[in-house]
Amino acid sequence: MPARRLHTIVVLTSMLIAGARFGAPTEGADFTVPPAPPLPTSIAPAAVDQSESQIGSLHDEIDRLVSAATPDFDTLAAPVSSDEEFIRRVYLDLSGTIPTSEQARTFLKDSSPAKREALIDRLLSSPQHARRMQYVFDEMLMERRVGTDVPNAEWETWLRDSFRDNKPWDQLVTEILSADGADEKLRPAAKFYLDRKFDIDLVTRDIGRVFLGVDLECAQCHDHPNIDDYLQRHYYGISAFLKRSYVFTDSKSKKKMLGEKAEGDVKFTSVFTAEEGQTDPRVMNLPGIPDPEAAKELYIAKPAGKVRGIPTYSRRMQFAKAMITADNVDFRTNIVNRLWALMMGRGLVEPLDIRHSENAPSHPEVLKLLADEFLAHKYDVRWLIHELALTTTYQRSSAAPSDSDQATKAVDAFACGLLKPLSPEQFAWSSVVATGFTTVTMRAQEAALQKAEPETAAAKQTDPLWREESLHKGLKSEVDLVVTRFAGQGGQKTSFEATADQALFQINGPNVEKWLKPQDGVLTDRLQKLDSPAEVAEELYIAVLSRLPTVDETANVTEYLDSVSDRPTAIREMTWALLSCAEFRFNH
Amino acid sequence: MRREIGCNRIDHEVSRRSFVAGSAAGAAAVGGLLTPAQAEAVKSGQKRILQVFLQGGVSQFESWDPKPGTKYGGPFRSIPTSVPGTHISELLPHTAQRMHLLSIVRSVDLKTNDHRIGRLRLEKGRTTGEFPYVGAVASKYLAPPNPPLPGYLHITTRGLEDNTNAFLGAQHAQLKLLGVNAPENLARPAGINEEAAQRRNEFRRLANERFAGRGGQPAFTEAFDSSFEMARRLMKRKSLFEQEPSAKDVERYGSHPFGVRCILARELLNNGATCVKVTHHGYDTHAENFNFHLEQLDEFDKTFCMLLDDLHDSGMLESTLVLVYSEFGRTPKLNQRYGRDHWGASFSVALGGCGIVPGAVVGSTNADGTEVAKREVRGGHLFHTYFRALGLDTSANHDITGRPVPIGDPAAAPIEELLA
Repeated sequence: MPARRLHTIVVLTSMLIAGARFGAPTEGADFTVPPAPPLPTSIAPAAVDQSESQIGSLHDEIDRLVSAATPDFDTLAAPVSSDEEFIRRVYLDLSGTIPTSEQARTFLKDSSPAKREALIDRLLSSPQHARRMQYVFDEMLMERRVGTDVPNAEWETWLRDSFRDNKPWDQLVTEILSADGADEKLRPAAKFYLDRKFDIDLVTRDIGRVFLGVDLECAQCHDHPNIDDYLQRHYYGISAFLKRSYVFTDSKSKKKMLGEKAEGDVKFTSVFTAEEGQTDPRVMNLPGIPDPEAAKELYIAKPAGKVRGIPTYSRRMQFAKAMITADNVDFRTNIVNRLWALMMGRGLVEPLDIRHSENAPSHPEVLKLLADEFLAHKYDVRWLIHELALTTTYQRSSAAPSDSDQATKAVDAFACGLLKPLSPEQFAWSSVVATGFTTVTMRAQEAALQKAEPETAAAKQTDPLWREESLHKGLKSEVDLVVTRFAGQGGQKTSFEATADQALFQINGPNVEKWLKPQDGVLTDRLQKLDSPAEVAEELYIAVLSRLPTVDETANVTEYLDSVSDRPTAIREMTWALLSCAEFRFNH
Repeated sequence: MRREIGCNRIDHEVSRRSFVAGSAAGAAAVGGLLTPAQAEAVKSGQKRILQVFLQGGVSQFESWDPKPGTKYGGPFRSIPTSVPGTHISELLPHTAQRMHLLSIVRSVDLKTNDHRIGRLRLEKGRTTGEFPYVGAVASKYLAPPNPPLPGYLHITTRGLEDNTNAFLGAQHAQLKLLGVNAPENLARPAGINEEAAQRRNEFRRLANERFAGRGGQPAFTEAFDSSFEMARRLMKRKSLFEQEPSAKDVERYGSHPFGVRCILARELLNNGATCVKVTHHGYDTHAENFNFHLEQLDEFDKTFCMLLDDLHDSGMLESTLVLVYSEFGRTPKLNQRYGRDHWGASFSVALGGCGIVPGAVVGSTNADGTEVAKREVRGGHLFHTYFRALGLDTSANHDITGRPVPIGDPAAAPIEELLA
């Protein structure tokens, strides 16, 4: 078979500046349950544009549609989760870590019928939630890419602040797509572009995948050979917004930023058909955006060696508008699918970035409903998560039918809770919360505060935000180490991968040893002070697995304590075992 | 499209010993002297890959495609090899004696002079995009269900962080062994003896068993279990990484780092590894090209041949694909510092073993070596060739859900004349 050439011929009618394109909380162990604060306004109904919303409550409607989508749903459906299952799941999903043993005990004892919704509300307004979203969206947007043009700390703070303020998704994306790196306030948002070195092909592909849920990579060279919906003009429509922009290094600050030229069109040729095409900037099948009549002055600042080009008419500045317009159904469909996957463990479309007519959603009505309602609620991310958490679909037990075919059906139908592998960050934080290592860190942070500001320390250290940030600061190196070991490159995934070196980290690594070492207040220390084996079993299971042990499990713990002469050794070994078991590794 | 030499199976007719008689390699094990592990490896029918990566870009002029007496040919002569009519550089005297076990592709054009891109194009067999490396593909499709070692091991000095497994699972990612050091955390912590380790692991296993009965996604819990199982197997093989090589091996392979690494590579292949990549650093000769190649290839030549001999003598070569490659070659023209610079436009790759016609030369460069004259070959062609030689249908799609991704680049094809 003769080799076909696969080289794209892209003709820039006016070349870009040569070479410019490439450069090459946790709440912690000491968390005291505060009284539920008032709901953030974004959750309160007042923020809702009722005129556009078509339904009573989104969560009920989701449950109705999920159930109606599968004929024998009721026979497959798992019961609603126990409080034990629910509290672990909702803490992990909303605040990024398992609850402490104290938090779990408090919730389990609470007899109020509305306690689940109250907990959801409280977690959503906690600083831990903003941190959790920072992690999730960092992974989604930057896909664990290593880049240095915008420091991670600035980017993370910007993300965290955005989610603490519940910045609407369309606004957040507008800031990302419009950031040029020159405006200091929005410089962190320029990370998306700058830490991809503004490589047009990479940025075009990632914008398709991350913001639209379509992977146009193959459409770079020709209409997609296997996927009829992906056309070459889709690819070049997106890159046309960006093609005139280039990386500019400011001579004073040495910072990289984006400049833009006033001219340059993209033409493309299919390597299969040799057909030529040309396109205005456009998002997928939406109308193109032709340049306006050229102004007399093409530039506000004409590009030169030390001058960052700023055209009178900027194509890049049209991009965000074209992306977030209500006509762009792909934009909202992508994000609601990703948030659904985050909460439910699997996208309605899988993989999350390959949506097209032959890879249709499993539950099209649900996907459409979510997208419509998300728009009606003005891209309110926290509201959507709140509604998803309230669904029975979310709150079902993960106990699937014992027959494996039925179990697969139940999983496909969202008729039971799905297993969600803990993200590297969730795994790290849950490990230090379970072992109580957080108490050691928190104590050190408080002592340091006492020393630094003896007068204000007492008041300051009760502030939940201070506590979250201090704990995070104190444990950053531990968390980073786990993340390095457990995170592969690439973005949000719902598949699960486990490697030998991760297991070796768990089996022999010095960090786990350190967390298990008995010292004042940590789990192994607390367990040693308990008298009866039953008490040991209870505290062990509730601290690590957020549930009470079964009768059999209590018996196993008793046996273990009997069979090992050294009690602290037995305690450390059992704690290691639970920390290393599948029930801990997954959110279920 | 013309093969320059017939692909008769010279190695079946001519004993290797007639070429190397009297050399140190004569001490290698033969026939009934196989170690039990080797015997098992041969019997299992498993196919595997040995990649020898000459990092930085070995010069084709000073190795597989010498052009003595021409404009850019440099000072070294070419010498005859065990394959009549095929000459290679005099810097590879041991390899020359074993040329009947190998073949050369002299017409590789990667269309890049960039270290990273060149490497990616050869490893992924694609010009761009996220695709798994050769080793990850091997791990996925050639390794047995419960492999005794992780499928894709790389013995190297430096750790470049690449996404080697792409959309194949993380268990197929490259596991890096820095030098001949064992993977991290292979030793049990001081306070935990074998008995304690077993005891706590039993408690963990019990917890897993209870939990496995619960969910509808057994694949998840199984993957998790298997990572611990793989860790346990690696710990058991700890001695592989710790054992001092025998004096005889050191004498044959050399005591330099590359020698010791090739001994480890052999041990890993003998013990069930699926793809082992050994990197020999230091070929980026922008200055003093000739001196550096003299030193580098002196180290490479004998060591590589000892490894090749051991594979051949144990019978494993028939099921082991051997690749010797760089991310690109070096410029014909010398620079002012007597160096050769990056050159991806016309260079060579050598390969042999499982499924490959031995003793062949595919393609050629022009008289001065400045461009491919015949049979242009790119990364995609080589990738197809490797896996077709190993018996994999490279036109089939990857075994993953949701994405129809062909294993080999549909825009390329195998080099049929190299397939035995």
